[in-house]
Amino acid sequence: MTDLEFNICVDDYSDGVYRFILKISKNKEDAKDIVQTAFEKLWVNREKVETLKAKSYLFTVAYHLMIDQLRKETKIIMTDSFDETTQTVSQGSSELKQLLMQAINNLNPTQKSLILLKDYEGYSYQEIGEIMQLSESQVKVYLHRARLILKNKLTHVEKMSA
Amino acid sequence: MINKNNYETFFMSYIDNELNAAERAAVEAFVLSDSKYAAELAIFEKTKLQATSMEGIEMEDKIFLYRFPEMQASLDTDFKKSLYKKQAPVRKVLFTPNLIRASIAIAALLILFIGVQFYKSEVPIKEKAVFANANSLLSTEDNTLSKANTEVLIQNENSNSATTNSLALNRKIIKAEISKNSIAKTNTANNTIPAKEEQTLRINDINNNITSPINTSTVSTEPVSEFAADTKLNEKELSTNTTEAEPNETAKKNRMTPTVYKEIDIEEDDRTINIGLLEIDGSAFRGITRRVSALLKRNKLEKEK
Repeated sequence: MTDLEFNICVDDYSDGVYRFILKISKNKEDAKDIVQTAFEKLWVNREKVETLKAKSYLFTVAYHLMIDQLRKETKIIMTDSFDETTQTVSQGSSELKQLLMQAINNLNPTQKSLILLKDYEGYSYQEIGEIMQLSESQVKVYLHRARLILKNKLTHVEKMSA
Repeated sequence: MINKNNYETFFMSYIDNELNAAERAAVEAFVLSDSKYAAELAIFEKTKLQATSMEGIEMEDKIFLYRFPEMQASLDTDFKKSLYKKQAPVRKVLFTPNLIRASIAIAALLILFIGVQFYKSEVPIKEKAVFANANSLLSTEDNTLSKANTEVLIQNENSNSATTNSLALNRKIIKAEISKNSIAKTNTANNTIPAKEEQTLRINDINNNITSPINTSTVSTEPVSEFAADTKLNEKELSTNTTEAEPNETAKKNRMTPTVYKEIDIEEDDRTINIGLLEIDGSAFRGITRRVSALLKRNKLEKEK
């Protein structure tokens, strides 16, 4: 990977990695630190990492850094920073979307990561398995469980509103 | 194939784009079969996050992530080495040479001070004894025998100096001899005096002849008067024995030496060092000082080696 290719990766993937980490860690500073560390590792290993696999490499490194960060924290503090961010972003969106975001926030980090990697980044089960070091079937099972939780939540709200 | 038992899994895989074309077609056909399944698929689709919901969230300070050729510049290894700093290891020294020297100096000063004190305490006793003897001898100006005895005391050390000094310095020696005389007296009464005792009695008789005028002339303390009284008695009682003991004068001189040893013992009893209000046994302290000086000498010799 050349300097130019690396800088293109920064342009293309830094925001995506940042969003992914911010959505789960809910801490802007932590998310920034993790993204910086991930790109630092990519730079150090630029000779080994192919340009086409740079995105997957960045998400993999960032995901594991985030998991390590969450393990260090004995208690996950649900800060309002992310909620404020999402509220500003989702201004004008429907009530259903807000409910969905709340439901996703209640998922565990693994389920949340699966949803985010699938829906936002469009990774396949196999790619998600590589990033999260899970088998394809595990990814499928865990992701479907998360979807069912979200579906039940939305169904319950719709019934309540009706 | 998709059926009412497994449709949820197919629906989720459908919205995740994980089905092939045939499976997708089968799902779409299954949904058309019942409106209930169509509504359920719609709910599953709602669980999918829209990429637009995350738009606007951007990485801050992205500029720091970029890499430029200038950022790869590195310093020469030689120049880097010149930047290194080494700190000398700090050693903890408990006994520095100066501290050892100071402690030795303090110890030496202490020993010197104690020695001076000891010397001071020892000298006056001797001086007092000598002066007392001289005064007592001088006070008896009328008596010509006493003057002669003082001259003899100074000049003739070999003959009578030991006995006169012992008598003048210490009353206890005389008392001891008097006690001997009393023993001798009892022996004479029984007419069974051995030759040795006769000789000692003769010596004591001579001593009494020398000292008796001194003691009688001076205003002495009680023990001295007692001694004078005892000597008088001895004179009377032992006058008969003097004639018998005269021929053996050489043996008499030889018998004078034990009195000298007694004098040394008595001096040791009086050795006391006064430091302020403290009284220290001189002989014990002398032993300590000797040991300390011997240790110092030994150390000095070892260092010299």
